[in-house]
Amino acid sequence: MTSQITFYLSQILGKNFVSDDGIVLGKITDFLIDQSPLPGQESEPVRPRLVAVKVKKANQTIILDFSSFEIKKFKRKLRIVCLEMHSVSDESYSNCLWLAKNILDKQIVDINGRKLVRVNDVRLVMIPSGTYVIAVDVGLEGLLRRIGIEKPIQAILDTIHFSIPGKFILWDDIEAVDFANASIKLSKSSSKLNTLHPSDLADIIEDLDKASRTVVFASLDEETAADVLEELEPHAQIHIVESLPIEKVADVLEKMPADEVADLLDALNDDKAEELLEEMEKESSEEVRELLEYPDKYVGSLMTTDFLTFNERLSVAEILEEIRKLKPDPEQISTILVTDKNDHFLSSISLGEIVIAEPTKLLKEIMNKNPVTVFDDDKVDTLAELISKYHLPAIPVINKEKHVEGVVVMEDIVDDLLSRRKTK
Amino acid sequence: MAFVSRRKTIWKNIALFLAILGPGIITGSVDNDAGGITTYSVAGAIYGYKLLWTLIPSFIVLVIIQEMNARMGIVTGKGLADLIRENAGVKVTFFIFIGLLLADIGNTTTEFAGVAGSMKVFSISKYISVPIVAFMVWYLVVKGNYVITERIFLIFSVSLLMYVVSALMGNPDWKAIGQSIVKPKMDFDEKSLAVVIGIIGTTIAPWMQFYMQSSVIEKGLKMGQYKYTLLDIIVGCIATVVVAFFIIVACASTLHVKGIRINEAKDAAMALEPLAGALSAHVFAFGLFIASVFSATILPLATAFYVCEAFGFEAGIDKKWNEAREFYFLYTGIMVLGAIIILIPNAPLITITIWSQIINGMLLPVVLVCMILLVNNKKIMGKYVNRPIQNFIGWGTVAILIGLSVTLLLLPLIKI
Repeated sequence: MTSQITFYLSQILGKNFVSDDGIVLGKITDFLIDQSPLPGQESEPVRPRLVAVKVKKANQTIILDFSSFEIKKFKRKLRIVCLEMHSVSDESYSNCLWLAKNILDKQIVDINGRKLVRVNDVRLVMIPSGTYVIAVDVGLEGLLRRIGIEKPIQAILDTIHFSIPGKFILWDDIEAVDFANASIKLSKSSSKLNTLHPSDLADIIEDLDKASRTVVFASLDEETAADVLEELEPHAQIHIVESLPIEKVADVLEKMPADEVADLLDALNDDKAEELLEEMEKESSEEVRELLEYPDKYVGSLMTTDFLTFNERLSVAEILEEIRKLKPDPEQISTILVTDKNDHFLSSISLGEIVIAEPTKLLKEIMNKNPVTVFDDDKVDTLAELISKYHLPAIPVINKEKHVEGVVVMEDIVDDLLSRRKTK
Repeated sequence: MAFVSRRKTIWKNIALFLAILGPGIITGSVDNDAGGITTYSVAGAIYGYKLLWTLIPSFIVLVIIQEMNARMGIVTGKGLADLIRENAGVKVTFFIFIGLLLADIGNTTTEFAGVAGSMKVFSISKYISVPIVAFMVWYLVVKGNYVITERIFLIFSVSLLMYVVSALMGNPDWKAIGQSIVKPKMDFDEKSLAVVIGIIGTTIAPWMQFYMQSSVIEKGLKMGQYKYTLLDIIVGCIATVVVAFFIIVACASTLHVKGIRINEAKDAAMALEPLAGALSAHVFAFGLFIASVFSATILPLATAFYVCEAFGFEAGIDKKWNEAREFYFLYTGIMVLGAIIILIPNAPLITITIWSQIINGMLLPVVLVCMILLVNNKKIMGKYVNRPIQNFIGWGTVAILIGLSVTLLLLPLIKI
């Protein structure tokens, strides 16, 4: 007898299982898998283990403990043997999924491919320590196997030495997302989704159905959630903001740049937006309120109010030390603003220029003598031309009294251009 | 309040409607494709104004079905193909979509037949018109910008109203038209039944349900915008029916009066020339051309899209060739097949049309039953399941359509 048997879910689903002496006991309808790590192996990658099986017995659906089941290969045929029927309740399991109900035919996230794929079949292995899920089959081969025409087609293709393309993804590289139908919650720490780039995650969330979208988003930690929300398309943003509890959304919004929050709130209805602003911390919400005053086509609506200003008399060394202490977001410091002692805007300088300057140089010695600036009530259309013409990573926005209002960064200008091209 | 400067005005409301506008109107326009125009022309030429009343039940059924699709799209954010795959299992899905694929290849062929026929009125050979149109459509979708393409067609679809001009030039008898709508009548013979089935069948094609639901999702609509969506659907369905009405009238007031029988839409255009003048014939042919090109663009695209959706392949024109190989392969394949069949000398066009209609007829009830079951599933639709009155009309529609489809299938057998 071999100690290892591999098989597909489709080969045993809907099949009869028998007692030790071969009497048919019932029909298999689903398997429950446990994803929690075994005691003492918390750091190892989790192998989902079959723990229970849902069966149909005389028109009754019951759940049985899987430990008394055995799967045997007998003349290339699978035989499912149940030594003792031990009924259990599915509520006694946590962090579990049903293979047929939650995985098969459903969409899952392919972590390496960074996209959603549909599960055609599931590959399992039985070894002495238990039965485990190894991989999901997302290829054409699995599809044909399910329909039951894989073998005849392969037989025809064999004559021209061609095989049906199969595609498997290891369980370690997928994350199930059909939680709208599952009884468990996606746990924050274990979710493989947190390893994805926020932009990729945003693309995946956009492709999900509405119910899963909310569940997946809610499972992200606040930092990732803020980054993802920023990257989502407006209609997906609105849907998520409207379907999650207001406190949770407010917490995420506080982590986002004020200009992005303003854009998002602008698309919501006024009552909802006001409610969110009330819920947010005062410091964040006031910044957003200021930005909301600007109509779409003005620079004010595009600028960010997260930026750094330094006095002209500081030296390069002092500035770098200060930046290291403050640890701002990298995109905030692409351009640094220089002011005089009365806080009037003098010039701007890029981080690159500061880094290559001698540490002892003063800001006023190295800053641009003819800085390019815009007013907050200038039109947005002029911005792209300015960054292109003067090779700027960002443009300072000042008011008529020469005080700094904000900065428009290149990324936001590009985003604005792209979104306009889309709606044209 | 902070939002005074950004408050939504009446203009913003109109802009909102225009932004949502589309799914219903485009679906409605694609509905009047080459096959539709042919059916309406034939109905008008043979039966005059007699069958105009069929457009009213068609309209009601069309609105009911499309509303269900839109609601499902808005609530779930999932395509109809996705929902069928996840709830009906892989085997049912497989047979539905293989059927749809075959039917849509046939339908695409009909669209290219429309291109070939309409250009023939302008004395352009099909060996020139079909390859050029096929390539241009393919290029526009794959290499161009689909949003722009869609808008161009939206404007073009207004040109379908040209049929109004064509109809008015034939000096229709308004009194007879009024009477036929108020007092519906039909002969209960085989042929007239076939034409009635044809009119309803061409108005409600299975692939449209998938297209409608996907475009609602693509637009990212939400329940708050439901009334605009409903308005969009109603406007689209009215447009469909109005165009159909004027095509029937155009043929009834000229061809029927003179006793001219036709088999194809292009015959109608050609027959119109001596009766209502060259302008009327050209307008008719141009309308057929636009309708055929429009449908030849959307049909293969929609088919490729929902087949991939059901089987879990990457799909979408925003994807690259390498990312969505199956999708582009299907899209290009359907286009090429449709165009090539037309170019084969003496291709059995009528057989192809009949067979794609038969497959459509068999699939429509299956798809509709799946749809009504899905839209009544509380797990999927929550509180937005059908209301009793919607179910009553929905199941009634399914029953009538199944009855009609079965009759359509049995008719050829009875004839033999």
